[in-house]
Amino acid sequence: MTNKKGIRTETISKLSQYEPYFFLSPVLISMLIMMGYPLIRSIIMAFLNYQLTRPNDIYFIGFGNFMKIFMEDAHMPMILLNTLKWVFISVGFQFLFGLILALTLKKPFKGRNIYQSIVFLPWAFSSFAVGIMFRWCFNGEYGVVNYILMKAGIITEKISWLGSSELALITVIIAMIWIGVPFFAIMYLAALQSIPLDIYEAATIDGCGRIKTFFKITLPYIMPTVITTLLLRTIWVFNSIEMIMIMTGGGPAYSSETVTSYMYTKAYGTQDFGMAAAMGVLVMIVLMLYSGLFLRGTRYEESGDF
Amino acid sequence: MSKRKIEKYAFGVGRGLILAIYLIMVLAPIYWMFVTSFKTDKEIVNVNKITFWPEIFTFENYISLFKQLDFGIYLKNSLILSLFTAVIVLIFSILGGYALARYRFKSKSVIIGFFLLSQMIPAVLLTIPIYIIYANVELINTKIGLLILYVIINAPFCLIIMRSFFERIPVSLEEAARVDGCNKIQALWRVIIPVLFPGIVAVFVFAFIGAWNDLLMGVIFTSSAKNWTIPVGMKSLIGKYNVNWGELMAGGVIALLPTVVMFAFVQKYVVEGLTAGAVKE
Repeated sequence: MTNKKGIRTETISKLSQYEPYFFLSPVLISMLIMMGYPLIRSIIMAFLNYQLTRPNDIYFIGFGNFMKIFMEDAHMPMILLNTLKWVFISVGFQFLFGLILALTLKKPFKGRNIYQSIVFLPWAFSSFAVGIMFRWCFNGEYGVVNYILMKAGIITEKISWLGSSELALITVIIAMIWIGVPFFAIMYLAALQSIPLDIYEAATIDGCGRIKTFFKITLPYIMPTVITTLLLRTIWVFNSIEMIMIMTGGGPAYSSETVTSYMYTKAYGTQDFGMAAAMGVLVMIVLMLYSGLFLRGTRYEESGDF
Repeated sequence: MSKRKIEKYAFGVGRGLILAIYLIMVLAPIYWMFVTSFKTDKEIVNVNKITFWPEIFTFENYISLFKQLDFGIYLKNSLILSLFTAVIVLIFSILGGYALARYRFKSKSVIIGFFLLSQMIPAVLLTIPIYIIYANVELINTKIGLLILYVIINAPFCLIIMRSFFERIPVSLEEAARVDGCNKIQALWRVIIPVLFPGIVAVFVFAFIGAWNDLLMGVIFTSSAKNWTIPVGMKSLIGKYNVNWGELMAGGVIALLPTVVMFAFVQKYVVEGLTAGAVKE
């Protein structure tokens, strides 16, 4: 006997009870060793004075690392603000452009398949390649972006995009938006194509306009996908630092540093593992709270496990 | 023209415009990297003039990558690590995905929750204790050390994707094989795996690209050029005072090649895999 999802519901014999664990054991064991155990160690480390350069000077300091983050670190207010900008501007525009792209791709046209394979490409690109690509385009002296803007008469002098503390972060965000749009577009296109056509026909007969149809039918239908993708991408963008590493290295003067990239700087620049671990634990707590609130707030029920 | 016709026309034009602008936005930076990689140094760093096609078309950037740098070694390391990662992750995902799709057991939701949670842990946070562990077991600056990390990072997501592919295969197919005298492993191998082909391709590509594109782990855990992958080796070119843009762009083009080729051939499966978990039909 099987239920509609295809899961066996017959009574399972004693031995086969352990079968799923047997099949899952390679991944579970390696995850316990390489994720579970390190996670526990890093939580402990967040409460230790742990400098890699002074291995004989490791001791418990309670909330000392957390105090260091919030009280003693002068860059922190700016870095927190940067993190908010980084996450919300990147994800916001990725979402917006991805949705628009999916909507324009919904109806078939000649050459749609080729068009899709081109515009979805950045999904598979590495932050490294895209990072150097944008770094070169936005180069202050030889960059093509400055050239075009000057030719168009928008600017009169060359802008040092990545060298200025006002523009560095936003320039990295532009690269981040570029690389992230295809993910949203792919997901929304699939969701849009799963909407039954007769619903639209009914709406047309009832005299619904395009705008009304979008808000009354299309949007509610793809809502579960919207929620999943927004949640996944927010977490992903929050934790992603490679684009920053390649394009600015967090500079100039920490102006393009986010909490996560600053954690990297603390761990592998100043080698203060304790403080970096404390930051990581905070990031994790924030992400979990965010996920919980987000899922509750959007009344997320059954739109997949991921 | 009626109001409705005008509206339809306007929407058509608007749609075409959006598609055209977006295509240019995607292609422009790629084109710029591509073109720059075939220019001479002199042409690249000319403050007064910008050329949209090389005045002197040259392969010197590509040649010097392999001659002056250890790019051949980076390329080999990247290929080997990505292939091994893909194969191991595939095995893990087939076994684990099968278990999660076909069995009902007590701690199933706990395990799925564990996978979900693993996606929230910042990778940088994990590298800190792993760095100390690796130092103790002498895995720092080794390819094995990197391989283990790549498998761990890519396995949870790939496993969940594989699970949704398994869920689409009717149990009856497997049961028919069992009736014919196959045991579970045989049924999995002979009957399910062939039907699972799209899922296998998708997961293989995900894991391969995941390892191929990594920069962070390579930068943290490898220090000598003989163990560097392409992104790590190329990153060492930046940061010096004079960035050699020609070589860097050539390296970038090579780094993009396998992803472009894979994506071109198996995009259908990749898209299917990506949307399998999140879009319920």
